[in-house]
Amino acid sequence: MGIQEQYRNEAAELLSSGAVKLVIGYGGGSTPDRRRPVFVRSAEEVSRLVLDSYCVANLSAYLISEGLLSDGKNVAVFLKPDGIRSVNILSAEAQVNPDQVVILGFNIEGEQTTPLPGRKAADYAPLMESLRSSGLSPELQREADRLEQMSAVERFDYWKEQFAKCIKCYACRQVCPMCYCRRCIVDVNQPQWINTSSHTLGNFEWNIVRAFHLAGRCVACGGCDRACPVNIPLRLINHRMSKETLDIFGHFPGESADQKPVLATFRQDDPETFIL
Amino acid sequence: MTRILLNSRLDDCLSAWRSAGYRVIAPSRSNNLTSFDEVASAADMALDLVLPERTIKDHFFPQTEPLVRYEIKKQQIDTEEMLPPDDKRVFFGVRPCDAAGLDIDDPLFGWDYKDQYWFKRRENSVIVTIACTKADPFCMCTSVNLGPDNPKGSDIMLHPLKDGRGWQMVTLTDRGKALLETVVPMLQEDAAETASLANVPVKFDVEKAMTWLADPANFESHFWKEISQRCIGCGSCTFLCPTCHCFDIQDEGDTYSGIRRKNWDSCSFAMFTMHTSGHNPRNTQSMRWRQRIMHKFNYYRGKFGVNSCSGCGRCTRQCPVDMGITETLQEITNTAK
Amino acid sequence: MRVVSKREEAPGVRTLKLEFLNQEHHEFFRNHYQTGMFGLYGIFGEGESTFCVASPETRKDYIECTFRQSGRVTSTLAAVDAGDIVTFRGPYGNRFPIEEFEGKNLLFIAGGIALPPTRSVIWSCLDRRDRYRDVTIVYGARTVADLVYKNELDEWKQRDDVNLVLTVDPGGETPDWQDHVGFVPSVLEKVAPSPDNTIAVLCGPPIMIKFTLNALEKLGFSADNVYTTLENRMKCGIGKCGRCNVGSVYICKEGPVFTASEVQAMPQQDL
Repeated sequence: MGIQEQYRNEAAELLSSGAVKLVIGYGGGSTPDRRRPVFVRSAEEVSRLVLDSYCVANLSAYLISEGLLSDGKNVAVFLKPDGIRSVNILSAEAQVNPDQVVILGFNIEGEQTTPLPGRKAADYAPLMESLRSSGLSPELQREADRLEQMSAVERFDYWKEQFAKCIKCYACRQVCPMCYCRRCIVDVNQPQWINTSSHTLGNFEWNIVRAFHLAGRCVACGGCDRACPVNIPLRLINHRMSKETLDIFGHFPGESADQKPVLATFRQDDPETFIL
Repeated sequence: MTRILLNSRLDDCLSAWRSAGYRVIAPSRSNNLTSFDEVASAADMALDLVLPERTIKDHFFPQTEPLVRYEIKKQQIDTEEMLPPDDKRVFFGVRPCDAAGLDIDDPLFGWDYKDQYWFKRRENSVIVTIACTKADPFCMCTSVNLGPDNPKGSDIMLHPLKDGRGWQMVTLTDRGKALLETVVPMLQEDAAETASLANVPVKFDVEKAMTWLADPANFESHFWKEISQRCIGCGSCTFLCPTCHCFDIQDEGDTYSGIRRKNWDSCSFAMFTMHTSGHNPRNTQSMRWRQRIMHKFNYYRGKFGVNSCSGCGRCTRQCPVDMGITETLQEITNTAK
Repeated sequence: MRVVSKREEAPGVRTLKLEFLNQEHHEFFRNHYQTGMFGLYGIFGEGESTFCVASPETRKDYIECTFRQSGRVTSTLAAVDAGDIVTFRGPYGNRFPIEEFEGKNLLFIAGGIALPPTRSVIWSCLDRRDRYRDVTIVYGARTVADLVYKNELDEWKQRDDVNLVLTVDPGGETPDWQDHVGFVPSVLEKVAPSPDNTIAVLCGPPIMIKFTLNALEKLGFSADNVYTTLENRMKCGIGKCGRCNVGSVYICKEGPVFTASEVQAMPQQDL
């Protein structure tokens, strides 16, 4: 039995037993290589679920849909390791109750899709441990190194060109499981912290503010990067912030549901060199 | 016998247009994005694209546009209207769907009050369209009663020659004729076979869908929740749409001076209709998606006699969750009686 | 426009009286303004906010607007002083067809901060009092403090040719409150004139409109004889920015004034 069949059966069982009210998974898309999020509410519908190496989206973002978990019922969701990390962060930041989330975990390596054992976020502790020890993506690091080698002026010009493309559609924010603010700072107008206009300056403000807010929280799922309709390499800016929080604080986001948010905690012996 | 423009003479045309005072704007690739940009030579053009990722709308209704400069002084406020420049522009290598988008938006910007920011640019621009010989799986112009060589919104239509040497040139408007006059020496009279047009399959029955949408009973149908469940509420479909025209007005500056700007806005955003009181007439994503579809295929037609969709398919092509007009109208067509 | 005076109406509610700085603009306003129309009032650097012209079409030397301080623009407008300059775009939208009301009884119903649009119609009619028959005004607010235009309420109360009925929500009364206590729809059912030859003009928050329309229907008012105004978030005011529509109806162009039957024909979920 392939992984898709196995997980369809499991989804059917979860739904028919009433263990979950909803399964968030992937379905066929408008072209052969596209997958789209699907919401399955009954065992009869599980044939809509597809699981293969095209299922790359981090579906944990749907867990923060307004009111979804407020009835206390459970929801099952297909997640890759990055999505499981997102659930841990959302739990640590008190946005979801991990007990309500049944994880249908899987991994993609090349064309291969393999099931991950464990159904609750906590079951994945050993996986998280191994992810941590392998550190940040070497692939991203190679891309980032190219930027690191630039002079500050060159790097600024690079980002200026990239951000000049931004149209402020906020797809990066909307697709991101970490962007759960009921009213984003860019939508606040008393005071108007950030220019809403999509000129290069306003785009800088938006993209840098978002990068700051993701520092130590991004799991490099690549959702924003894929969602961006104007192809801004957002993965690189987020990777840079992740490297910073890893190097300085040893923080690998999403290790567990107990992990303290790195920029929202402090220690008595923090040096506070930035003040002096 | 028809007029032929050879690939090899395109740079000469560009020079002629420039000497006649035109800026030439064409599909191009830069910074890992395809869009309409000013080009220096034919080599800068990306005419092989089915469609650039961004639309020609950018040059008529930019994402952020200064309206008025203001300066607040003691007892008076000085203002200065910031109308777009008068420069003449040739848009070369536009696709019929993008050209049609301009034509579709004209009545809206001219509804009682004529929007100078739009029409000044429209009147100074010549649209040279190339009929499509290829399409991708997202193209859907034929589903909205347009097609790969539809002349709507174009001043000149170029039909690619079968042998790939160039294009047959057909002028459609006076503006097109005037532009052609500037390059007559570069053209040749020839009989040449044109390439066959792209085959764009019809994906939904737009008439049937419109009838379903027009039925008030379907406004509160559960369908809207189902179809939009995965919508994440970003603005990419609206901002990359050649006909979406909604905007916000914002002042930017310091205490005493600044600029009032017109910025793209999107019916997908929750803030779009939010009252100060907190009441929001369209307070769920399904209501907002319904608004987009109703606006395009019901309200707009009621006001201006045309649907606000030119079938470019960008909404689906660029959607992070694979939604779009095609799927919604297909579903409606499939379920409507 | 220059602020001539500023009046505190109720907590957080202010009225500005504005005079034209430019003769040409004033002439345009004189030629175009009719009761019911709205404008966009603004402060450069903050933006614009949409509200009705609260002064009547019979008094076009100035513009009055009344607003509750709630958002960015209204907070700034609330802080202006006499002599300051604010911007005005308008008048936009349609109007109450008050010449069609001639020879009829008029019933004005308003709730809270929605008295201003009603007041524009009220004075437009009272300034030509002989053209209309009985005039009844039912006005309610959450508390006594929230009643706006207190001076004018006193004036209407004194007049023999106006029947003013005031009410406040239960709990909103003061110890010396002499008038009704109760929600507008229920008070209306007690005091409403006969629907025969009567036009009702109704302005209020969405929830009050909904229940008051029910009450008017129960009283026998035809939906064609009930007028109301709709308000939505607006940016352009001229039918382009795309946000104020209810179904296919653009409030800024085809409204803000509608009959109850027109409102009932709109998709209710969009209101």
